[in-house]
This record gives sequence, C-alpha cells and structure tokens, in this order.
Amino acid sequence: MKYYLKLGFILFIITAIASGVLAYLNTLTQPVIEENQRVAQEKARKEVLPSAVTFEEVTGKLTYHIGKDAEENVVGYTFVASLYGYSGDVKTMVGVNTDLVVEKIKVISQAETPGLGANCEKPEFQSQFSGKQKVEMKVDKDGGTIVSLTGATITTRTIANSIKTAMDKLDISANESAEETE
Amino acid sequence: MTLLKEFTKGFIKENPVFVMALGLCPTLAVTSSVENAIGMGLAATFVLVFSNIFISLIKNLIPSKIRIPAYIVVIASFVTIVDMVMHAYFPAIHKSLGLFIPLIVVNCIILGRAEAFASKNNVLRSILDGLGMGLGFTLALVVIGGIREVLGAGQFLGYNLFPETFQPMLVAILAPGAFIVMGLLMGLMNLSKKK
Repeated sequence: MKYYLKLGFILFIITAIASGVLAYLNTLTQPVIEENQRVAQEKARKEVLPSAVTFEEVTGKLTYHIGKDAEENVVGYTFVASLYGYSGDVKTMVGVNTDLVVEKIKVISQAETPGLGANCEKPEFQSQFSGKQKVEMKVDKDGGTIVSLTGATITTRTIANSIKTAMDKLDISANESAEETE
Repeated sequence: MTLLKEFTKGFIKENPVFVMALGLCPTLAVTSSVENAIGMGLAATFVLVFSNIFISLIKNLIPSKIRIPAYIVVIASFVTIVDMVMHAYFPAIHKSLGLFIPLIVVNCIILGRAEAFASKNNVLRSILDGLGMGLGFTLALVVIGGIREVLGAGQFLGYNLFPETFQPMLVAILAPGAFIVMGLLMGLMNLSKKK
C-alpha cells in the first residue's frame, strides 16, 4: 500500500512541475497569439475593403465592422461568414460596399481537402465573388454564376451560402444602424 | 556503437518510417505538401530531442512501474510547448498543421525512443539518437511529401513547376496517394537491402 502511495506521489510531482512550466509559458505566448489573431483579422479587413481606413465594430445578430475612409464617410462593411464545409468550418472575410455589393472576399480559415477544396484560398477563385450581390451567391451547379472549384462543389457552395446567410443577418442590422443615424 | 553511428542510424538503417514503420499516422496525414512535412518533421524532432534528454536524466528517479505515464507527461509537456510557441511565432505553419501538433504526443516514434533508448542510455547518446531519428523522420516526410506535391499539385514548396496545361495527378495528394507513395518507397527500401 505504502509503495503505491509513493508511486502516486512521484507521478503527482512530475505532473505538478510540468503544469507549472506550461502555465508560465502560456502566460508568455497567450498575448502574442491574441495579438497575431487581431492583426490577421485587421489585415484581412483592409484587404477585403481597401478603400476603408478605420473600422468600427458593431455587435448584434452578426458582428461586423463599419469601414470608414479618411473623411469618416462610411464606405462599406466587413464581416466574417462561416459555415461547415466538407471537413470543418470555412471562414471567409467579406467586404461589401454601401449597396451591399461584394467588394472582395478572403478565406481566412479552412480545413478542406488539400488540392481540391483547399484551392478556395487561391485569389483566382476568390476574385469571382467581387461585384456580386446577395442574390447572385449561387454555384453554377445550382444555376448560378459562381464557377465551382474542380471536385469541390461542396466547398464552393458552402462559401456562397455562408456569405448569403451572413448578408441576410447583416441586411437587418445595417438598416437598423442606418435608421439610428437618421 | 560509435557516437556518429548513433546519430546516422536514423536516416537509412533504422529509419523510423521506412524501416521501423513507426509514426505512420502523421506521416500519411501531413505529407500533402513539403512545407507541412518540414514543419511536422522539425516539430517532432524538437520534441524527440528534449524528451530524450529529460527521460535520460530522470531515468533513475522513476520507478519502472510508472515509467510510461511519466514519459507521456514529459512528452506531452514538450508537445504543448511546441504547440504554443508555433502558434505564437509561426502562425502560418501552425494553421496548416493544425490538429497534428497535439497528436505528436501519441507519435509512437517518440515514446518508442524514450522506452527503447533514452531510458537505457546517457544524455549525450540520447541527444544524438533523438536528433538522428527526428531528422530521419523529417527526411522520410519530405521525400513522401515531395513526391506527392510534385505529382498531385505540380508544385514544390508552393512553387509551380510545370506550365499551366499540366494536369496534376489528384490522387497523389489525397489520402490514397499517401498509402501508395509510402508503400512503393518502403518496397524500394527493402529491395535495395536484399541486394
């Protein structure tokens, strides 16, 4: 009995030391990780709405950012559209102008099949979303105009649908904020 | 065995992937591109070297009955360190390796070397063993990843190798391609040994 208590005690010491070291390292890396994510989001926002200089966060049904130019005029909105794709959530940063026409999109995180769905990160694919409205978010296989990635219709459809769903939510909140300013 | 041999045995003679057939799960999963292969290989090498050092240092303090959980704690700690440091300073690689970093914990190469080597040898030999095995693992990943990326995506390290008209062999980059390429390479290794 005593022997087994000793074994347990040794394991306890090992795990205690290990968790102490890890906890300390976590306090060092956590702020860097959070800062990285913030910078990455900021960069993605700038990329999808290049005309905006500052961004203002609005929380509601869908958290989005109002993009303003140097003269404080609203030039558009950015938001993250997210839906489950073929093997994980596909997150897309979307920039729309004040008429809710897509300026640019950028896939910011995905875990789709390499070589097929993962090609959604390519600029050639993402650029076809530019200039499209909510009603045009339809894949060619469903009678729309968005050309699917080879062998990855599900991924393409996911992105189109996620933008459409997010825009549905944005539409309402955008009107609300417009009313408030009137 | 000389120190040099302790280091070089991991490359060909006792290559963890092709000869000992260890750590095949990450091998199959991350070799869809050379970049991932290098990232995974170096992360595993780091964990392997440091867990070997630690286990070799504390081998006399740990009763043999609880050695496996003790090794796992040591290995898991280093994996968590790699995970956090990579996430903070190399977010791009961390993003593409994703789930496979935490899974280094259960990579049997690392526990295998801890049990079979570090727990019986001194620190210097354990470092060399860990370094050799880790780099041998990296080499295997890069070879498989290189073949799969060139055939399956027409790229090497993300650079296009062929003109636009090249139609890549998609199967090479999908899961079956990993099995086929690894099987062929293992076969070649065995063939060359027989001669």
